[in-house]
Parts: sequence; structure tokens; C-alpha cells
Amino acid sequence: MKTAAIALSVLLIGCRGPQPRPMPDLNGLLRQASNSHRDPSLGERWLASLSRKAGRETVELIDLRNRRPVSLPGLNRADAQPIDVSVSADGQRLAVIEQRDGRTELLLYRRSVGTVQRLLLDPPGVPRAVSLDGSGRLLAVQVSRDGRWQVDLIRLP
Amino acid sequence: MVSLAITACSARSERSAGSSPGRSQQEPALSGDGRLLAVITEKLGRPTVQLRDLASGRLLPLPQLNRHQPHSSPSLSWNGRFLALITQRGQRRFAVINDRLTGRLHHLPLPGHRVPIRLSLAPDGRQLALQVADRGQWRIELFDLSRVLEPDRAAADRQTTSRTESAP
Repeated sequence: MKTAAIALSVLLIGCRGPQPRPMPDLNGLLRQASNSHRDPSLGERWLASLSRKAGRETVELIDLRNRRPVSLPGLNRADAQPIDVSVSADGQRLAVIEQRDGRTELLLYRRSVGTVQRLLLDPPGVPRAVSLDGSGRLLAVQVSRDGRWQVDLIRLP
Repeated sequence: MVSLAITACSARSERSAGSSPGRSQQEPALSGDGRLLAVITEKLGRPTVQLRDLASGRLLPLPQLNRHQPHSSPSLSWNGRFLALITQRGQRRFAVINDRLTGRLHHLPLPGHRVPIRLSLAPDGRQLALQVADRGQWRIELFDLSRVLEPDRAAADRQTTSRTESAP
């Protein structure tokens, strides 16, 4: 009877197949690094997210190979509240939606030159969510116009 | 159908090709190669994922994802073989990954007290980042999918995955 039960257990475990495995070292790092993380966006070896520390939320980019946050000079202004972020596959470009001075803006940040470029929406609208393709040269953005959500595509040089 | 306009600093914008005027579209997600766009739209009043080939404007079928709405937070791998998103059964929310090549639906098991909120699939499909609500906090948890999914890489360094434009 006991042998049969063990055999059944082995059979059941075998039937489950491979399972996704939590990554405890990185998850521990994320837990220690800040009070909260939200809106993840994965590149090839990059994790972009919105991180809250000491009551302030900022865009954070972590290099998953060496498990360290990357400096983003010029991006996280003290008077800005980030709303969403997306990273290109190589981690070089970040599309960010942020609120500042009562306006909600869509930004493109290029790490190689440390510049923030504001992308205008035409017709005007309020951006809410953003996605970059792998190359960082095509962007899809959810925009509120006339009380309706639309998706615009923006090709970037 | 596609409106063009010049935006600041030479960026060029257009409305999502083939989109239905009047129908709400939310939570856009591009495939790594930029060929496919997933959005959440209303289908019979229920938020449902929709996948579109941007070149042709054609909607691609997702037969494994006709149920378990509301759907939210879609995310695509490089060639769009894998579509990850959050679904709901009863009161419980689940993270699932649809393999469009084989038609399989992979479920991501989570301990009982965690509720999935948003997710992001790595371009090659080998990792998943999941935002969960855990005891009043938002956290991101990373999962290794290398034993679950084949890699879905860019054409230049692809080894095992074939294109999935019309699959299945």
C-alpha cells in the first residue's frame, strides 16, 4: 500500500512537467532595494521598473547580470512622478510616462547620451501606458482622447 | 485608417494599424521585432486580449485565450511566439503564457496570498517579471522559464524557434 502511494506520488510529480522557478537571489535583492517595485519591463538582461524609496517613486534600471542598479542621470527629476516605463532589449532606451507640473508627458531616455526627449502626441492626448519594441525604435502608447483609450504607434529615429 | 503626424524631434506617430474606431484599446505590448501588437480591448463587454500583425493589420487568432476574462497586462516575446498575460477564474487571478506555436497554455503557480497585477516577459522568453500584491505591498518577482519555454530569439541568433506569424 505504502509502495503504491509512493509510486503514485512520483507519477503525479512526473506529470507536472518542468515548472517556472523563482529566482531567489534576484528576488531577495529587489525586496531589500526598496519598499515597493511596480510596472516591470524586461530587456535581454535588464529590468526596468518604478521603485519607491523613502516615499518617492523613481524609474530604476537593474542590470540582471551583475545585479546592480544602473545610473540614469537626468531622468528622475525631483518634481516628476513616473507612471509607466518600458525598456528596449539592449537596455539603451527607456520610454517613460511621467507627470510634472500638472502635465502627463511621454519621454524617451537614451542612456548612451543621457538625454531626455519629450515626444509630442498628435492629436494631443494623455498617455497612460507604453511599450517599446526590442530595438527601441518603435513605441506603442495608450492615450486618452475624448474620453476614449486609443493606441498610437510612434517610430523613432 | 492610419493617421500620420510629425511629433517633436522627428518622431513619427500613427494610429494603431487596422484598429477599430470607437473601440477602446489599452495596455499595448509590442513584440521584440516590432511586428506584432497586443492590446486589451472590450469583447462582449469583457476586457480581452487582441493580437494584430502591424504590417497587414490582420488580427491573429488566440483560441486558447477565448475564456477567463478579464485579461490584462499582455507581454510578447521577440517573434511573438509567446504571449504572457494575466487572466481570471472566479475570484482568482493567474499569470499564463500562451505558446502560439504549439497552442499550449502554461500556468504560473503562485503561493496563495500573492495576487498577480502586471507582468513582463523577457524578449527571448526565458524570464518573467511579475508584479504581485503581497500583504499590501507591490513587489516584483522574477521567474526562470528556461526549463519551460524554448528560446524565442531574434533571427540573427535564433537557434530553435521558427516564425509564428500565423501559428496556430
